[in-house]
Amino acid sequence: MEKNVEEILEYIWTLKDRDETPHLDRVLKEVQVDNAADYIDGMVKDNLIEVKNEVVYLTEVGDVAGRGVVRRCRLAEWLLSNVFELDQKEWESTACEFEHILSEEATDSICTFLGHPPVCPHGEPIPDGDCCRKFTTEIKPLVLTVTELMPGDRCRVVFMTPKHHDRLDRLSSLGLVPGAEIKLHQKQPTYVIDVGETSIAIDYDIAREIFVKKI
Amino acid sequence: MHAHGKKQEKKNDQLPKILLIGNPNVGKSVIFGYLTGRYVTVSNYPGTTVEVSRGKALVNGKSYSILDTPGVNSLLPMSEDEEVTRNILLTEKQERVVQVADAKNLKRSLLISLQLAEMGLPFLIALNLYDEVTSRGIKIDIGKLSSTLGVDVMSTVATRREGLDKVEEGIESLKQSVCNVKYDEEIEKGIREMEPLLPRANISGRSIALMLLAGDETLTGWLHDNVSNENINKIEEIRRKVCTSYRQSLGYVINRRRLAEAERITDDVYSTSKKERSGFSHFLGSMMMHPLWGIPFLLVTLYLLYLFVGDFGAGISVDFLETELFGRFINPWATKLVHTIIPFEILQDLLVGEYGLITMALSYAVAIVFPIVGTFFIAFSILEDSGYLPRLAVMVNKIFRLMGLNGKAVLPMVLGLGCDTMATLTTRILDGKKDRVIVTLLLALGVPCSAQLGVILGMLGGISFSAFVVWAAVILGVLFLVGFLASKVIKGDATDFIYELPPIRIPQAKNIFFKTIARIDWYLREAVPLFILGTFVLFTLDKLNILKVIEAAASPVVVTLLGLPPKAAEAFLIGFLRRDYGAAGLYALQKDGLMDPVQIVVSLVTMTLFIPCIANLFMVIKERGLMVAVWMTAFILPFAIMVGGLLNFILRITGASF
Repeated sequence: MEKNVEEILEYIWTLKDRDETPHLDRVLKEVQVDNAADYIDGMVKDNLIEVKNEVVYLTEVGDVAGRGVVRRCRLAEWLLSNVFELDQKEWESTACEFEHILSEEATDSICTFLGHPPVCPHGEPIPDGDCCRKFTTEIKPLVLTVTELMPGDRCRVVFMTPKHHDRLDRLSSLGLVPGAEIKLHQKQPTYVIDVGETSIAIDYDIAREIFVKKI
Repeated sequence: MHAHGKKQEKKNDQLPKILLIGNPNVGKSVIFGYLTGRYVTVSNYPGTTVEVSRGKALVNGKSYSILDTPGVNSLLPMSEDEEVTRNILLTEKQERVVQVADAKNLKRSLLISLQLAEMGLPFLIALNLYDEVTSRGIKIDIGKLSSTLGVDVMSTVATRREGLDKVEEGIESLKQSVCNVKYDEEIEKGIREMEPLLPRANISGRSIALMLLAGDETLTGWLHDNVSNENINKIEEIRRKVCTSYRQSLGYVINRRRLAEAERITDDVYSTSKKERSGFSHFLGSMMMHPLWGIPFLLVTLYLLYLFVGDFGAGISVDFLETELFGRFINPWATKLVHTIIPFEILQDLLVGEYGLITMALSYAVAIVFPIVGTFFIAFSILEDSGYLPRLAVMVNKIFRLMGLNGKAVLPMVLGLGCDTMATLTTRILDGKKDRVIVTLLLALGVPCSAQLGVILGMLGGISFSAFVVWAAVILGVLFLVGFLASKVIKGDATDFIYELPPIRIPQAKNIFFKTIARIDWYLREAVPLFILGTFVLFTLDKLNILKVIEAAASPVVVTLLGLPPKAAEAFLIGFLRRDYGAAGLYALQKDGLMDPVQIVVSLVTMTLFIPCIANLFMVIKERGLMVAVWMTAFILPFAIMVGGLLNFILRITGASF
């Protein structure tokens, strides 16, 4: 679907979600797309929207598509602001790009990775996806930090986000790298993890920076 | 213990060399001992070897100089002991490298093999600890491993000498590895550009280029000695260019690539029947660092240590040696003999008088300190070889954090209970300079060495348990307080606690025996001459009547402030030479009934905190520099007296009696 079409769908869906009426002239004025009128005509032909009495309505197909764009945008915002800690200006503009390129699978992965967040950084609700519905039955985010594991849990390291570079170097020379299979041996008084036949004691601060996936 | 003749070293320098290299705690020192027939300390924790040991060996009828190096996890140094090993590879004109590998941790061992291959050094691999592999249900296809790497691989169990003859044979026909890790094109390009700028060295330009790309700052010195400034700038430029292509540090990117290759090889040759790690030793290891059970485990260990060293060593053995052997036989006989054959009174006094070399120096050294040190060394060797100490580090990590240290610092501190001098050298296993300075200070200040501790335990045991509790509480409190304050004063960041725990192993009687013998030998060589010197000084001062002057001069401090008898000044005086000798002096005062219990506790607290012995002081100067040593002494001496005076004041005012 073309980028501009998605922008228009997103805008209409957002208005509808806020229980506001998407009047045609308001849409044409406020949506930031050149030649919006031409696009609207095309979208009507493609059966994404209908225009009745100067008000735009989403068709069933258009509603699903618009909802998807909003979901991708707000998830991207969450990821960029809370995980990567970008500036607001930066995460807002980058999320606007992300919403057009993420596949459904990638979106669900991000959603699961973030633990199915309910609202975006602006406080707007994030439309749920298939992955979230699964979430209601098995409450298990895909990626955890080592500190969230229980002793005895086996898992695979997905990525590490250490504060210092030499921390990463040191962990990697002990065989602790993404892809490594580890087992949490204990959490108190100090974290001890088993990597293959090696037992390594680490601080809580370091354990918190190791992200894993249970196996 | 680390003394080798300078001449000997020079001579050995001309011999072809064999270098032992490998991960920490894999048995390099055991193989070194096998090849050279010389004992070097072997323990079950990473970091036992902090200095390179050199020895001579006859291998296949030829003389070699053998170098035992501190363990490394990567040849990209991340601590001082790792740097030592890398520097040897870089600068020594070695001819032969033997990599000692932990067979059950093959992947990590291969990380080093791949780096040796990159360096273009011919080597062979001794796949050690092979018994632990079989017991875990792992099989390794050694033939395949050997052909993949293109070097010889032998399975060995060094502690039982299995397979070591094959290693010896193999040393004659070392090969360069055919393995070559390919990196991303950006990195490869960086290597290609950097190589022509580098001087010829012992190891390949490619490997040096990779170290430089990884940002190895420890190379700076070498670089400035061997490369022109202009080229150094070019190298820095290339590095920066390559860095921009990666989000992570280049060191990590390179390590990951190597690990991936190591993993590929490991998967190829390993087959495991997936046996869960279990059994008694694994259970024991878990108990030792269990948040709940770890504490009673520590208490029981300490109690057993007390029984063995305090009761058996300081009690029964000292009683026997001092009262029976020296008191009833040697001293009377010697006195009689000396009086008959030497007519001069002054010489008689020198040998068997109040400050006699036999009646004081020898009977202190042999009768009081030796049995205590001996039993302590035995108990301590068992602890070291079991693998308990690293687990103790896990237990105390949080407490040590409050002193700006991490759990790893418990190792030198516990070693300090053996000998503070050796322990000061061991601070090299710590990562930050701040950690090393704080631990060196705490060792010098308040960690009593085995000899001193034994005498102290013996003396306190003679009073009551509450006297022991007061002494221990004051010392621990002072250590903690000083550590806490030092961490605020001394600049530097807190260092990470990332520590590999060795498996629990049953200590081998033979190693315990040799290690104890080696340590006692070292004790006798180092302590006895100082005991004799100290006694001689006292003798001279006494004969010249200076001792009385010193006692009078020290009396405001010793008598008024500390509330001790004037004669205690002598003990503190010889405490400058060795603290255990000073403690033994206090012990004699107690035996003669010259001190009441409060005086004993006060004098022992002061003596424990008193300035480090001469050997320890020299080690502090060597490791930390003269300035640090001077500052530490300037702080410790008045501080020890102040704490003693304060304690005396409190005990007197509260009317405590033990």
